[in-house]
Amino acid sequence: MQRRRLGMKIAVIAGLSIGAIFAGFPVLWMISTSLKPNGEVFLVPPRLISENFSFDAYRAILSSEANLRFFLNSYIVALWVTALTLLVAILAAYGFSRHEFRLKRFINVAIVSVQAVPPITLIIPYFGLLVALRLYNTYGGLIVTHMVFTLPYAIIMTTAYFNTLPRELDESVKVDGGGGWTALWRILVPISVPGLIAVGIYTFMISWNEYLFALTLTRTDDMRTVPIGIQLLMGQHSYEWNQMMAMSILGSIPVLVLFLFFQRRFIGGLTSGAVKS
Amino acid sequence: MTGGSTRVQSRFRRLLGVVTAAMVAVAAVGCGTGMSEESTGTSEQGEQGPVTLEFAQWWAPELPEGSFQELMTQFESQNPNIKVKLLSAPYASTKQQLVSGAASKTLPDVVGLDGAWVNDFAKQGAITDLSALMAEAQYNEGELASQIKVDGKTYMIPVVNFVYPLFANEDMLSKAGVKEVPSNRTEFLDAAKKISALGGNVKGWALPLDTAVPNGIQNDVMSWLWASGGSMLTQDGKPNLTSPPVKSTVEYVKSLNDADVIAPGSLTMKEQDKVEKFTAEQVGMMIDSLAHITLIKKNNPDLNFTVAPIPAEDAFTGKRGIPYASWGIGIADSTEHKAEAFKLVQFLMSKEANAKLSTLANGFPGNNTAEPDFSKSDPLFKTAFAIYKEGYPANEFVGLPKSEELMRTFDENLQLTLTGKQSVDDTLNKTQQAWASVI
Amino acid sequence: MEPAHLDRTVLPEAATLEAEPSTPPAQDRKRPFSVRGLAPYGYILPTVLLIFVLMVIPIAMVVSYSFQDNVIVQRNPVFTGLANYAEVLTDPVFLTAIKNTFIFITLSTIAHLVLGLAFAMMLNTGLLSGLTKAIFRVVYILPWLFTIAVVAVIWRLMLDPFGVVNYILTTIGVLQTEVNWLADPTTALWALTFINIWSGYPFFMISLLAGLQGISSDLYEAAAVDGANAVQRFFNVTIPQLKPVLISMAVLDLIWTSQQFALIWMTTGGGPLNVTEMLSTYTYKQAFSSYEFATASASAVIVLLLTMILAFFYVRQLRER
Repeated sequence: MQRRRLGMKIAVIAGLSIGAIFAGFPVLWMISTSLKPNGEVFLVPPRLISENFSFDAYRAILSSEANLRFFLNSYIVALWVTALTLLVAILAAYGFSRHEFRLKRFINVAIVSVQAVPPITLIIPYFGLLVALRLYNTYGGLIVTHMVFTLPYAIIMTTAYFNTLPRELDESVKVDGGGGWTALWRILVPISVPGLIAVGIYTFMISWNEYLFALTLTRTDDMRTVPIGIQLLMGQHSYEWNQMMAMSILGSIPVLVLFLFFQRRFIGGLTSGAVKS
Repeated sequence: MTGGSTRVQSRFRRLLGVVTAAMVAVAAVGCGTGMSEESTGTSEQGEQGPVTLEFAQWWAPELPEGSFQELMTQFESQNPNIKVKLLSAPYASTKQQLVSGAASKTLPDVVGLDGAWVNDFAKQGAITDLSALMAEAQYNEGELASQIKVDGKTYMIPVVNFVYPLFANEDMLSKAGVKEVPSNRTEFLDAAKKISALGGNVKGWALPLDTAVPNGIQNDVMSWLWASGGSMLTQDGKPNLTSPPVKSTVEYVKSLNDADVIAPGSLTMKEQDKVEKFTAEQVGMMIDSLAHITLIKKNNPDLNFTVAPIPAEDAFTGKRGIPYASWGIGIADSTEHKAEAFKLVQFLMSKEANAKLSTLANGFPGNNTAEPDFSKSDPLFKTAFAIYKEGYPANEFVGLPKSEELMRTFDENLQLTLTGKQSVDDTLNKTQQAWASVI
Repeated sequence: MEPAHLDRTVLPEAATLEAEPSTPPAQDRKRPFSVRGLAPYGYILPTVLLIFVLMVIPIAMVVSYSFQDNVIVQRNPVFTGLANYAEVLTDPVFLTAIKNTFIFITLSTIAHLVLGLAFAMMLNTGLLSGLTKAIFRVVYILPWLFTIAVVAVIWRLMLDPFGVVNYILTTIGVLQTEVNWLADPTTALWALTFINIWSGYPFFMISLLAGLQGISSDLYEAAAVDGANAVQRFFNVTIPQLKPVLISMAVLDLIWTSQQFALIWMTTGGGPLNVTEMLSTYTYKQAFSSYEFATASASAVIVLLLTMILAFFYVRQLRER
């Protein structure tokens, strides 16, 4: 029995390690590229650590005011998008989960289908609309745009989470004279926190990495975001490989931090409900 | 159990509070500056207040840090009533952004353009007629090396021209036993074979045929045609792809492919990859923009290379066409400050400023009286300038409608030929038909 | 007041807006919770406002463009009825794009599911310490962190004929000569799909990991008591419990993958020889190379209709549960 357990443990570790190589190798290569001079990027045979190892690329990125502004903008937009999406999704999910009403099916389908239109065809009419609403080149414009992308998924998942919680739970607030609103915020939301965190992280990710609309709906450097900053390094004549990779790595850190911070909470307990593989 | 949950809950609430406070703080800082930047392409103008021109281009990142801004500052000091705001855009998305901007009338006042886009933007009504502006300002057109016209009216003026000569790795040539840089097609094929025979991962030539940005057709395929004085169009601008010169060009490229002298990955290779491979000494020869000389030297200082005219057909002795790409400038049709915008154009085309910009960019001036200062730059530029003067700039795609689509159709058919799925004649016929419906 | 608290991470039982919550039959009466009939509308108002105001107009414009000609890039649009649709549907490149897109999204989604589930299960094991699992979790989530342009560029670099992937594979002897992963018509689509699988599996992994937490161990114990071995427990307990999540995420992933543009454009541009031409690249070329926004809109509407068919079947099979 002990031997079998050990055997399985080794198998799992082996499997995880192979998977980790699959997942992590390109990122390792990104880091390696960010620490090389540009001329060595296409060197044959490829080297992991260059002889001319340097942090110059990182220095260049961090010392550029424009780039720092890109990071700030991305943060602002992504945080607002996450907060507002969660808020709106919680409300909508409560509506869908705990109520019946006419047009429910219709709105349902509409919300899912909205994601199905290719963004590239949408870009020109949408652009015109935002200009008309005077949201062009503003944080507000980007925030509401990103919300449109993240809401369908957020609503679907949050509704699902709420649906797993029996209605008796809501009723417990009636004892104290509370209504639906209280039930939502005092009961449903706190219990769904792990799921909400997953949705929140995903939302942040989508907003942080979005490029097409961020590019089209901003005009000046003081509104642009990190993905645009990265693409600015892809010049007409050459790519600034090390800076591009450095900026990507730097750009991934906030999301990584978020994930590390929250992963305990949303992965849940290590004991109850744990499944043996 | 419940004890744990309250603790967890209040911790969460605290976290939520902190995050919210942080966001509000951050947003307060950000929103202040962000929201005020609500310009929509046409700028504010008081009665006597300064006019702000917005200039969208991809040039500034390609130039030494801050140098383009310096030029703008110089312009502003010469024109106290005008301020210039530089807007940067990633090169790959420029065209798409311009089309979108034109559709919603939010184009910046002055726009950097590529010659291949002019026809379509003019038809869209995105850019304004520069001939009219030149007449109004009584501008001396004689100084302009070229103007890009549609229906007889100028819509774009090339500011800096980047020519595409042949680059050759001298060390590799001598190692392969090739004494001189090839000057006709036979010599080129021979040199390429010898270089490829060096083995390893070295090949003689690189041919970027990426269909996303099909410039390879212009720079690396049609250049062979133009170098022998040929043309892909008839006198009245109709496609002439089935003519003998074009056919011999395509057959030549096919022969290079069949001789296995082309670097692998050609069908999805981008122009940037071609340069990288040359720099990494995986490719011995390439047709490329002069603008890359500094880049190559920076990334591989030990690389010994030179530039030469593109090889012509064996018996050809006439003037050789040399392909070029330009940084062009145009003015948005929707701008309210056409006169001021034209002043900026005038400045960039003025002898001094144009020479300076060309030197910085390692290109050739759009003002034919301007003398770029080659003293501080690589001696190869002088060589290239001599080649440029001996030949003539040739790029028949400039000014054509939907030129990117034309290039792509040719590219896709050429790929079929190179992979053995279609004969040269079929390729030429099919492409000819496709082009005829556009031009 | 001490709210009741469930001591488990929630399992998205049925990821849809339709399903009834899991109440025992005795209370199975559809009694709206709120008294005022308008309350539900209030809860969904922000959503409706945002999505409808911002999307309905542009989508309507796209649909209207598809029935016209000379839109956007010409100054005088002309109504042409279904001509654009006919043009698109008879274009052989469009049909190739549909075929490629179908292969691309199907393979990607299946692989995402399988990999996501496999990784989630390995990361959920009781055999390893919390720290080990946490470290692996961080590594596994890495592909998710990068903007798609960077993913495209780094994979292009690695899959270059003389890049690191070929180097490693030839050194360890798996390959004899370098393979042109992205430039060879026979391998381009599979290489592209592989990249997409790499960049997209974390979404599934995280959601399934959360889902696995919610499967009560009682079910596994009951199955073990009945004599089921590990494999049987997997197929009879894990999969059925996860099924609603799996289906919802699969549908979402199919939709999202069909919209994928930047990855394809920046690696192969739809080539070589159109083997990686997808609906997204086709539409883009129509719009910004041919300047035919009308046919691009028609293509977009076709994609929308195809997706709505998919969504319809999905919603229908949920209601029947």
